[in-house]
Amino acid sequence: MNIPTLKEAKDLLVNSQVWRSMFRGGTWKDTSRDRAQHILGNVWLHLHPARIRQRAVRFTYTWGLGGLSFGLFMILVVTGVLLMFYYRPAVELAYRDMKDLEFAVSLGMFLRNLHRWSAHAMVLLVILHMVRVFLTGAYKTPREFNWGVGVVLLVLTLFLSFTGYLLPWDQLAIWAVTVGTNMASSTPLMGAEGPFSNLVGVTASNDARFALLGGTTVGANTLLRFYVLHCVAVPVLAGILMIVHFWRIRKDGFSAAPLPGDAPEKKMEVWPNLVVREYLGAILMLAFLIGWSVLVNAPLEELANSGVTPNPSKAPWYFLGLQELLVYFDPWLAGVLLPGVITMGLMAIPYLDPDPKNGVGFYSLKERPFANSVFLFGIVMWFVLIVIGTFMRGPNWAFYWPWESWDVHNKVPPPRTWNLIMVDFSELSGHFFTSQKVPGLRVAGPLGVATAFAAAGALFGAYFGGGLLFPKLVKGDWPLKKSIGLTAMGSVLVGVLAKAAHAFLFRFDFISKNIPHFGLTEISYLAFFLFVVLVMAFILPQKFLRKSTLSPLQYGTTMMLLLMMLGVVLKMAARLGFNIKYLFSLPGLNLNI
Amino acid sequence: MADASPSSEPSGPVVFLKSELTRRSLLAGAWGAFGAFLVASAGGAARFMLPNVLYEPSQRFKMGKVKDFPLGVTINKEQRVWVVRDEKGVYALWARCTHLGCTPNWFPAEVRFKCPCHGSNYNLDGDVIAGPAPKPLWRCAVDVTPEGDLVVDKSQMENRPGFRDRGSFHVMA
Ligand code: HEM
Ligand code: FES
Repeated sequence: MNIPTLKEAKDLLVNSQVWRSMFRGGTWKDTSRDRAQHILGNVWLHLHPARIRQRAVRFTYTWGLGGLSFGLFMILVVTGVLLMFYYRPAVELAYRDMKDLEFAVSLGMFLRNLHRWSAHAMVLLVILHMVRVFLTGAYKTPREFNWGVGVVLLVLTLFLSFTGYLLPWDQLAIWAVTVGTNMASSTPLMGAEGPFSNLVGVTASNDARFALLGGTTVGANTLLRFYVLHCVAVPVLAGILMIVHFWRIRKDGFSAAPLPGDAPEKKMEVWPNLVVREYLGAILMLAFLIGWSVLVNAPLEELANSGVTPNPSKAPWYFLGLQELLVYFDPWLAGVLLPGVITMGLMAIPYLDPDPKNGVGFYSLKERPFANSVFLFGIVMWFVLIVIGTFMRGPNWAFYWPWESWDVHNKVPPPRTWNLIMVDFSELSGHFFTSQKVPGLRVAGPLGVATAFAAAGALFGAYFGGGLLFPKLVKGDWPLKKSIGLTAMGSVLVGVLAKAAHAFLFRFDFISKNIPHFGLTEISYLAFFLFVVLVMAFILPQKFLRKSTLSPLQYGTTMMLLLMMLGVVLKMAARLGFNIKYLFSLPGLNLNI
Repeated sequence: MADASPSSEPSGPVVFLKSELTRRSLLAGAWGAFGAFLVASAGGAARFMLPNVLYEPSQRFKMGKVKDFPLGVTINKEQRVWVVRDEKGVYALWARCTHLGCTPNWFPAEVRFKCPCHGSNYNLDGDVIAGPAPKPLWRCAVDVTPEGDLVVDKSQMENRPGFRDRGSFHVMA
C-alpha cells in the first residue's frame, strides 16, 4: 500500500462527501467558478464580493485598518468571554478576582494582558482607520451614511473601553469613572449640579449621573451596571452596527475605483487573493499582541478607595485629551458639549462637502487642501492634548516639561489665574480683569451685569461674526505661501506691539497684577497662536471656501465648527500663556468659557 | 381583501360605518397607540434604571469627641470629610472637589487643598484659589451631641459666604 502525497490527501479530503456537504458546490476543480462559489456559498465569507478591483486590495490603500479593527474586536470577544469565567462584578470580589486571575489562574495574567492591550490597539486602529477613510475621500456620496455608522462605532469603541475600565475595581478604575460620570451631573437640566436643574426637579438622586451609576457615588450598583454594559449591551450594539457597516461597504461599492487615465480594469478573485491577505494580517497582528502580552503586564493599581485619589490621577490615554480640556473649560462644556459637538461635527462632514466627486479613492492631499488641513489639524490637536496630558502633567495636575522631575515639593504653586469678564448674580455685578479673590474693575447693579454681558457678547460676537464674514468679504487672490509668510510677520508684529501696550498699561493695577511679565515667552505665545488661528480661520477659508459651491448653511456650519476648534486653541493659549482662567465666567449658570 | 385597492370606496353594508371608523382613522389610532406604547416603554425603562433603595453609607455620622479636634485640619478618609477648627469653632468640609469629584489632598505648608485630577486649589475656607473648580467646597451641617460627640450630616450642605459660616455649618465647640 502506498502512502498518499500531501496533495493527494488534500484532494481526498476536499472531495469527500463529508467535506462537500459542508462547503457544497460539487467536486472542487479550482476554477474561477469554484472560487466565486466558495465566497458566495459561505455565510462567513459572503459579505465579500466574489471579485474585487485590483486597487482595492493594495495594502497601502486601506492599511488593513478596518479589517484589523474587526479582528481586534474578535480577539476582545474571545478573551473577554474567557475572563468572565473567573470574574464576579461585586465590590468585595472584583479586585480579588483580578488578583486571582493574575496569580492563581493558569494563563489568567496572559489573557488579561491580551484583553487590555487589544483594547488599546483597537482604539488606536479605529482612529487611524477613520483618518484613512477621510484622506481617501471615501466618506463622500454614496458613503455618507456609512461614515456616520463609523462615527457611532468610534464612540462605542471608546465607551467599551470606558465601561471596561471600572471592572478591575482598582484606584485607576473608580477615579476615572468618578470624573467621567461627574461631567454628566454638571450638564444643564439633566445634571443635579448643572444650571436650571432645580427648576425641573432634578436632584442628585434622579439625574443623569444617578442613572449611570445607580447611586450617588461609584459603588456596587455602578460596578454591576458597567459590567452589563461592557459585557453585553455595548458589544451587541457594536456588533450589530459592524454588520450594518460591512453590508454598506458592499452596497455602496468600495471607494477604490479606477482613476481617470488608468488602463482598463482587471478584477481579482477574492478567494484566495483577499482572504489570504486578511488572514495574514490577522495572524501577524495576533502574533504581535501575544508577544506584547507575554512581555508586558497590564497595570493593576491598589484596591479602590474613595477617600484617596491617586496623585496625579490620569484617565487612559485616549481620554487624556478630554481630561486636558477640563483644565480650560467648565466640566459640562468640556465633557458634554464639546464631545457632543465633535461627534455631530464628524457625522456632518460628508454633508458639508462641496464636491462629492473630487478626490475619491486615493490619498487626495493636493486635491482637497482645505478639508485635509482642517481634519488633520483636529486630529493632531487631539494627539497634542493627549501628549500634554500624558507627559506634561504631574502631581496636582501641574504642568511639567518632560525633562523636569515630578517633585511635589520643589514645584512652585500654580500661578494666580484671573478672569477676563465675570458676572456675579449674587452680587448683581460685572467684574473685569478679576480673579475670584481679588476683584479688578467692578461695575455694580443691573447696569453692571448688562455691561458685562454686552462686553462678553462683543468679544464672542466679534470672534464668531468676524470669523464667519471675513473669509467671504475679503476679495483678492494671493499665492498661499505669500499670505502665510505675511501672516507670520504680522503675528510677530502684533506680539511686539502688545509688549509695548503692556508696558504702557502697566501703571494700571489690574494689568500689573494679572500679567506681571510680558517677555519673550509671552510674545512668542501670542505670535504663535495668532498665526495658527489666522491661517486656519482666515487664510485657508478665504482662499478655498470663498468661491466654493457651499450653501450658506453648509458654509456657516463648516466655519462654526472650525472656529470652535480654534477657539479651544485660543483658550489654551490664554491659559498657558497669560493665566486667564476663564474669558467669560458666569458661575451661576456654570457657563465658564 | 384581494380586490380592495387603497383608493376604492368600501361599498355595501360597510357604508354606515364610514363616518365613524375609516381605515385611515383606524390606522392613525393604531399608530398613535403604538407610539404611546413606545413612549411609555421608554419612560418605564428610564424609571427602571433609577433604583429606589440605595445601600450607601449613612449621610449622617459621628466623628468622635469634638474637643479632640485640634486647631487646623483633621482628615478623615473613611467619611471623606475634613474637620477644620478655627478660633471661632468647628466646621466640616466635604472632601470632594467641586470640579469633578476627586478627593483633594491637604498641603499644610502651603495651607491649601490641591486636587490631583485637574489641579484645583482651595484655601481653608474652601474657596477656589486656582484651577478649574467652579464653586467653593461644600460644608456639611455639624452638630454636637450632649455627650460631646461631633455629628456631621452630609445631606445638608452650604457653600455661600455668609451662610456657610453660621448656624449649623460652623458650631462653637
Ligand atoms: C469598530 C470600528 C470599525 C470597524 C470594525 C470598521 C471596519 C471597516 C472595514 C473592514 C472596512 C473595509 C475597508 C478598510 O478596511 O478600510 C471599512 C470601511 C469603511 N469604514 Fe469602517 N470600521 C470601523 C469604524 C469606522 C469609523 C470610526 C469610520 C469613520 C468615522 C468608518 C468609516 C468607514 C467608511 C466610510 C468605509 C468605506 C471606505 C471605502 O469605501 O473606502 N469606519 N470599515
Ligand atoms: S476634580 Fe478636582 S480639579 Fe477636577
